[in-house]
Formats: sequence, structure tokens, C-alpha cells
Amino acid sequence: MSVQEITFVIIAVIGGVSAVRMVTSRNVVHAALYLVVTLAMVGAVYLVVAAEFLAWVQVLIYVGAIVVLLLFSLMLTKAPIGRDTLDNQQRGLAALVGMGVLAGLAFLIQDSFGGSKPITLHQATTEQVGVTLFRGFVWPFEVVSVLLLAALVGAVVIARKDDPAGSRRGPDRRAPLRRGSEATRR
Amino acid sequence: MLSVLGQVSGGPAVAHGKLLFRPIGPELILVGVALAVMLLDAGYPERHHATLALLSLAGLAAAAAYSLSLWSWTGPTTVLGGMVAADRFTVFFRLVILGVAALAVLLSYQYLERADEVRGEYYPLLLFATAGMTLITAAADLIVVFLALEVLSLSLYLLTGFSFRRLASAEASMKYFLLGAFSSAFFLYGIALAYGATGTTNLAGIAHGLTGQVGPLSLALAASGLLAVGFGFKVAAVPFHMWAPDAYQGAPTCVTAFMSAGTKVAAFAAFLRVFDVAFSPLIWDWKPFVWILAALTMVVGSVLAIAQSDVKRMLAYSSVAHAGFILVGVTAASHAGIQAAMFYLAVYPAMILGAFGVVMVVSGRGERGLTLSSYAGLARRSPLVAAVLALLLLSLAGIPPTAGFIAKVAVFTAAIQSGHWPLALVGVLASVVAAFFYLRVIVLMYMQEPVIAGGQREAETGFDAEPGAVGSLGFVAIAVPALLTLIFGVFPGILFGVLKSASIIRF
Repeated sequence: MSVQEITFVIIAVIGGVSAVRMVTSRNVVHAALYLVVTLAMVGAVYLVVAAEFLAWVQVLIYVGAIVVLLLFSLMLTKAPIGRDTLDNQQRGLAALVGMGVLAGLAFLIQDSFGGSKPITLHQATTEQVGVTLFRGFVWPFEVVSVLLLAALVGAVVIARKDDPAGSRRGPDRRAPLRRGSEATRR
Repeated sequence: MLSVLGQVSGGPAVAHGKLLFRPIGPELILVGVALAVMLLDAGYPERHHATLALLSLAGLAAAAAYSLSLWSWTGPTTVLGGMVAADRFTVFFRLVILGVAALAVLLSYQYLERADEVRGEYYPLLLFATAGMTLITAAADLIVVFLALEVLSLSLYLLTGFSFRRLASAEASMKYFLLGAFSSAFFLYGIALAYGATGTTNLAGIAHGLTGQVGPLSLALAASGLLAVGFGFKVAAVPFHMWAPDAYQGAPTCVTAFMSAGTKVAAFAAFLRVFDVAFSPLIWDWKPFVWILAALTMVVGSVLAIAQSDVKRMLAYSSVAHAGFILVGVTAASHAGIQAAMFYLAVYPAMILGAFGVVMVVSGRGERGLTLSSYAGLARRSPLVAAVLALLLLSLAGIPPTAGFIAKVAVFTAAIQSGHWPLALVGVLASVVAAFFYLRVIVLMYMQEPVIAGGQREAETGFDAEPGAVGSLGFVAIAVPALLTLIFGVFPGILFGVLKSASIIRF
């Protein structure tokens, strides 16, 4: 085994164990922290295969932004934090399905790539990633921005609790749209 | 086989030359107008609701005109680095989807006014969903298929929960979101495995890579299976249909009309392109899977619809059954099959959108009067609306001279030609079962007295006897689909003439 392979096994074990702990832990905050470890290990896998830029993006976005967002939303929505808030009755079934999927995928990947000779890695530079992103994948890149915009609008729709039928308070609230039938009904 | 299904031109090469933006003009227009509507709403909040709806309609019309101009596109078959296809297949589906969206805007205007839920975010979300739908019909790369699917799904999750004061709407949105996210994961895994099998996500590249492959195909097979599950969720094929009745029932009826028609067209367009083109080398492997999916969907959808007492739920199961009929055309996987599926996908949206439109018009404020019994004696109270609904239901049941009949004949003929006569037989039997619950509504409307429970009738449905009460916009939105089903039923040649060149999938 090469150094690379040994490193990978260590990373994979840490990532795998914390992934299992994430879904089995009964405390939401603990689960979120295990998620940090798992995501960081995925970033480490990228480093092992010499995709340096991707590794940092993974750490910045997933570990940095998404998990922090998760913790913030736990805090702001006053979701119940503590023991037993994540327990449910489906543990056995979920474990069975999870094991089945794992076995299937392991078999599939072993079957397809088991006999092939190891590939040689080439360093993926940031420049190459950039060129690919803005040449071949420029249209998907733009579509993602539309997707995010739609999600943003959606977040506003869900979060804004005010009654659309008027009676908005405060100077920052918008004036209601025209209500055709309002006068006749009240 | 391949030559029948599509013309393979070039490999997975990513063009590094000039970027041609013309073939994505319709999407650019739609997103641009969505932004304009949003800005108009933010800048002039006191602005009339009608202005927002009119601007959206204008955008849809502009996008449709632009799509039509792409019919005579002579440039390369794929543009933007092989991401977007510019064929007549795309133009055809874009026009169908834009038509659906325009009718949905008309319905929505009336619904939002009546339910008093006018909010400026509605129309931008509708336009984003439409842009996602039209984009997916043009997607020539699995990444674009996935992103377009996400744009349309995300917007629809939100529109489903738009009546946030009604608990059912929020619940429907939540269920739709959870199962939708679940199906997206399947789809993504399918893309990853397809990449593992062929080293590309480009549809032409996948077809290319699979044609010459001699090694184990397990990765490619798993990929096609997972992608089929992903699409199965989106088109609500059994056994991936669980979300559909709940989402359709809980959503505001104008949104139900839009998504039952639009999502199905968009997802099937991508389904046809991905399976009948990219995975065509594996055709004998995925065919049995889709065969079973089609048979199950037709039977389960039709049988479960009988047991429903809520009109929206009944139509939801009927739309599940129709997904099965369209899958019959996909299973045929011949040129005739694609053509038949496309014919079905052109007339089905008209039927289901019209039917949900009538449901919206008949139901009262706050989604009341949705039980089957509230349709008793509708013909006496409003003969015109009852006639429109009767025509649409006959078309959904597949009774001549409506377009639904021609569509069913076309898919079954294609199936028999490809040697799938047992599937055609299952389809015919399912249609017979399905005819029962459509005809039941017609019988209720025409042959029964309105149930008047202590003068509560009008208050309950919020619908008076005069057809004028329907609202002229709402009436246009239900009359146009009804007319279309009649026209395409009597003169199907018009549509088949167009399909002759539109059903060739180029990539």
C-alpha cells in the first residue's frame, strides 16, 4: 500500500464513523458537529486525489457556510435541542436499507473498477477548473444562479409572515397590493 | 435501431469556439421577465395586480414567438459546449409548456383575486418554473437536465405552499419537497454512475460511449435505473406516485393545474431524450423496466381514482394513470412511439389543465366544494361550465371524437407495432376502468338534482348559476383547452404534420 492509500483509509474510516454517528446521535447539535467532521474528511479525500482547489471550496462552503447556517437555523427557529429529539421508530428498517445500499454500491463499484489498473493523477489547477467552469459549463453555471435566485425568492415567501390582506405594520413593510373585494367584504 | 431514434452527430467534444446564445433565447426572456415582474412589484407595490399578470403573459408570448423562430434554426445541433440542443423537438415542447403557463396565469389571476392571496412573488416563481420546464426540454447534458429539474421543482414546491394560511397547502408543499429532494438524490446518483460508466455527462457522449462498450455494463445499467427512478418521481409513475395526490390536493388549484400539466410535459420530454437517445444502446435492458412501470402506473392510477370522493384527488390519480399511457409510447421506443408520446403530451396538458381549471372555477373561496357531490346538477346551474367539463372528461376518458381518443389510439398502435401487445391490452383495460370515474362525474352533473342542504348550496361553493360568475378570464382558461381537445380530436392531422419533423431528436 502506498502512502496515499494509507492516508485514504484513515480519512475514510474517520469520515465513515462520524457519518454513522451523525445519523445515530440523538442530539441535533452533536449531529451537526459530526457532519462537520464528515464534510471535512470529504475535503481531505479531494486533497489526496490532488484536487486542491476543490478541497478548499469544500471546506469553505460546506464546513464553513452550510453547517454554520444549519446551527444558526437551529438557534433561530428554537428547534428542540437535546436528547431524544431526533429519535424515531424506524431505526431497524433504516439500518437495513442503508446496509443494502452500501452492499449494492460496493459490489457495483468493485465489479466495474476492481480489475482496472490504477489511474495516474494529474494536478487539477485552479486555472483548469476556472476554464472548464466558464467555457464548457458556462450555461449550467448560469442556471445555478437562477436556481439560487428562485430559492431566495422562496425563502422570502416562506419567511414573511405578514398577512397579505393588508394591516402591515412598520415603515419597512410594503403597502398591500390592490384588494378588489376588500371593501365590500368588511 | 439508433438511426431511427436520432441522428448521432459528433462525439462528446466540448466546443471551445464561439458561444451561440440564440437557442436559449426563450429561457433568457422568461428569466428576464421574471426579474422585471419582481422589480415592478418591489418598486411600485401599489401597482395593480393585473399589471403583473399582463407583464407575465407578455413575457410568455415573447418567449413563444422566439421559440417559433427557432423552428428554422440551421446552426449546430447543440450549442454552449454541447449543453443545449437546438432541434424542433425542443421547439415543440417549449410551445406546449408556454401555452400551459399562459393559461395558468389566467387561472391564477382569478384564483389569487378570489382567495385574496395576491403577492408579488407568485408570478416570478411561476415564470422561473416555466423557464426550468422549457430548459429541460432543450437539455443535452445530464447536468443541465438536473439543474433544470431543480429550478422547476423548487419553484413548484413554493407555489404548492403558496396558500400558507391553509394548513393543507403547507403540508402538501412539505411532502412534495421531501419526496422531491429524495428523488433528486436518486437522479444525481444516476448521473454520477453514468459519468463513471462513460466518462461524460453529455447525452451524445453517453450514447457514443455505450455503443462501443464491451466490458461489464453494470454501472451503465445502474445509472439508467436510478435515472428512471428520478424521472418516475417527477412524472408520478407508480410506485413513485405517493406525493402526487397529496400535493395536487393541497396546492392552490391554479398551481395544481399548472404543475399537473407542465411538470409532466417537461419531465417526459427529458425522459424521451435521455432514454430513447442517450441510453438507446441499452434499449433491451431498460425496456422491461419501463414496461412494468407503464403497466403498474396505468392500472394502479385508474383503480385508485375510483375510490376517491374528492375531485382534485380523483384528477390527481387520473393524471398518474395518464403518465402510464404516455410511458406506453416511451416503451415502444420507435419513431412511431416517440411521435405518439409527443401527441399525447400535447393534448394531455390541455385536458388536465382544463379539468383542474373547471374545478377551480366551481370551487368556492378557500377551496370549498371539492367533493364529487358538489357537482350534482351542475348542468342545471351552469350549463356552459358543465358542458366544458363534460367534454374534457370525455377526452380524458379517451372517447371519440376528442383528442384523448386519438392520443390513446396512437400510443397503443405504437406499442403493438413494437410487439408490446400485452401492454396495449393492459392499457385498454385500464382505460375502461378509468372511463367509469370520468363518466360518473358527467352523470352527476347532468342526471342528478343539486343537493340543497338548507340553502347552503351557494354559500358552500361560492358559485352562482350565471356563467358570468365564472369570470371571463377563468372562462377563457377553461374554454381554450376544451376547444383544443375538440380540434385535435377531429383534425389530428394538424398535430401529426408538425410532429413529423419535431419528433426527430437530434443531439
